[in-house]
Amino acid sequence: MEIPSFPIAIMMVATTEDSRIKRTYALAEAKRASSLLKGEGKQTIMKIANYFTLKLRPIQPRPNLSNYNFALDFTDYIRNAAIIQDKKWKLTNRLLSKGEVFLTTVEISRLLEEEVRRYIEQKLQVKVKSLPPSIMNRVNRLKQLFYEKRGKTSWEEIPSEVIIAAYPPCIRRLHETTSSGRHVSHIGRFSLTTFLLNIGMTTENVIDLFRSFADFKERMTRYQVEHLAGLRGSRTKYIPPTCDTLRTHGVCLGMDEICRGIRHPLVYYRRKLRVLKMKAPVAPGA
Amino acid sequence: MIKIETQAFIQAKFSEYYEKNSMNIQPPASMEKREFGFFLLKERIMLRHKSYKTAEELRDSLKKLVPSNVYYSSAYYELPEEKMDEKGWLGADLIFDIDADHIPTPCAKTHDTWTCRKCKTTGSGTPPERCPKCNEQKFEEKTWPCDVCLESAKEETIKLIDILTKDFGVSTREISIGFSGHRGYHLHVESEETVALGSIGRKEIVDYIVGIGLDPQLHGLSRIAGPNLDDFGWKGRIARGTYEYLLSATPEQLEKIGLRKGAIQSLSEHKERILESWKYKGPWAMVKGVSPESWGKIVEEAVKKQAAQIDTVVTTDIHRLIRLGNTLHGKTGLKKTGTSLAAIEEFDPLKSAVAFHHGTATVVVSEAPKFRIGDEFHGPYRNEKVELPLAAALFLLCKGAARITEDGSSVR
Ligand code: SF4
Ligand SMILES: [Zn+2]
Ligand SMILES: [Zn+2]
Repeated sequence: MEIPSFPIAIMMVATTEDSRIKRTYALAEAKRASSLLKGEGKQTIMKIANYFTLKLRPIQPRPNLSNYNFALDFTDYIRNAAIIQDKKWKLTNRLLSKGEVFLTTVEISRLLEEEVRRYIEQKLQVKVKSLPPSIMNRVNRLKQLFYEKRGKTSWEEIPSEVIIAAYPPCIRRLHETTSSGRHVSHIGRFSLTTFLLNIGMTTENVIDLFRSFADFKERMTRYQVEHLAGLRGSRTKYIPPTCDTLRTHGVCLGMDEICRGIRHPLVYYRRKLRVLKMKAPVAPGA
Repeated sequence: MIKIETQAFIQAKFSEYYEKNSMNIQPPASMEKREFGFFLLKERIMLRHKSYKTAEELRDSLKKLVPSNVYYSSAYYELPEEKMDEKGWLGADLIFDIDADHIPTPCAKTHDTWTCRKCKTTGSGTPPERCPKCNEQKFEEKTWPCDVCLESAKEETIKLIDILTKDFGVSTREISIGFSGHRGYHLHVESEETVALGSIGRKEIVDYIVGIGLDPQLHGLSRIAGPNLDDFGWKGRIARGTYEYLLSATPEQLEKIGLRKGAIQSLSEHKERILESWKYKGPWAMVKGVSPESWGKIVEEAVKKQAAQIDTVVTTDIHRLIRLGNTLHGKTGLKKTGTSLAAIEEFDPLKSAVAFHHGTATVVVSEAPKFRIGDEFHGPYRNEKVELPLAAALFLLCKGAARITEDGSSVR
């Protein structure tokens, strides 16, 4: 796709009022910016970092610092790196000293990409009143093209029947603990409830699961479960935390092979379903 | 459940405390932007969404309400008295909770007890899967503050301070620490740097401190080399942890973490050379029979030694309520007591936190392990009537391990 000059492109994308298109566009622009940056010298990188008020400092590469070229304040680092899903970017795996994270030129370019992406996404939040029909036509064409190419994907592909054999280890454990009435942490209850609701268990069945608690109060539980199911108040349906978060809080226990390739318990469920289906004998017509 | 007379007695003493000592209670910085919360003993409810403009107002409230627990929000809000989603979150202190409940200690067996909710059978240590008598799975647990438990919590706190100052560059002036009044320590960081960090950012900090997701290879561990003792960040911590671990690990411990016989033998044969090797490049590539996988297992233990055991939920919760300094802990009658970074090694929580220094009270103790309050040890007790210094008596009453005698107590 040819990109018209920047401000017009921004205006057109903003007019689509479609968050997925906006996200995709911002990402593409950011990637372009960072690929340009990688070839740049320290000074240009510093200029851009200053523009985004990052606390970045060029350093002299030293052998005992693995030839890093930059040191970035750790909060600036976290803000940009926490959403990159690769263990190499996890703060735990970085060299951190006196509040600074050490980075190579390629790495700082990647982080600046995140700044650029957010910056553009923010610009795209503007409400464009209305554009001349000729441009509106192009905007609509753009929308159409986008969806032809991408199709719609979401959690909703999951079948409505609940298959216990496809639960990930963390959920299986929470399920067992809960149904025997033993104590489960707050985050454990939240993860279990949202997981079950998202794979299609009815609120009634979820509520039943908590009946074995000594302090079970039907009204309270019903309220909470319905809230998480998006049937109340804000009407947002909650999804379970990511594996990463569950790991932090000690809920991720007994990882198996499938766990290694996924980052979300719901993705585990979908994958395991596929595996089970492949193995299942052809069901005789009953 | 605490009996009426006992409850009235606790309430009266707490009231006395707040009447006499409210001047020592300092509000947190930017108090007008914080939410305050109080737990009321008699009503058994939590009073939340309170806010105060001055220290005086707050102190008056404490004298009037006589709460069994006093909390304030780590968060700053535009409108602290509104409902949660209408408060307008402005930022939050970075807080850490280190509680002996999260650290396995050998003494838990000697002082902690459980009671089956159904048949009231009791036992010591952490509760079993099922009640040995009635097969039920629900228990009341009672944990006690003891010197060993508190010392290990302190150790974790010191490790945490080291990580925060050296790795995160937090200035010691921005850190305050205090004994919670029960089984652990709280550490607060009040800093411009971190105040605006959201939950995801705080989670990254937590993972770093606990060593979650740590990949030794990304810290330079390979077939031919590994980190050095004086490296920065986790690199150096891995090396120092490995050094410490190898120094103290017994062959049984090495076997337990999954090392082969040959590797264990090789490690003990070359103990001297390994120690020596830290002066140069470390032992990573020089011990025959110790495979990279074995080093991986050793490093895993090293990481456990170097990480600080913090409560992960507390730090990532950006709306958390925490106990206010110099207020009483409803489970012990001890006060939350601050200490300085320089003095933490010598800090004696069970002495510094004593809130009542005069008088005695006679109580009937149902069951209590040996415990210390101030300089004196008391107990163990079982179904007996004893006259104790007021602080110790109150401690047992608050713990629910004793009741006040009907004939009242002699308090001078
Ligand atoms: S990796 Fe994810 S899905 Fe697997 S057990 Fe851990 S949290 Fe659950
Ligand atoms: Zn029982
Ligand atoms: Zn102990």
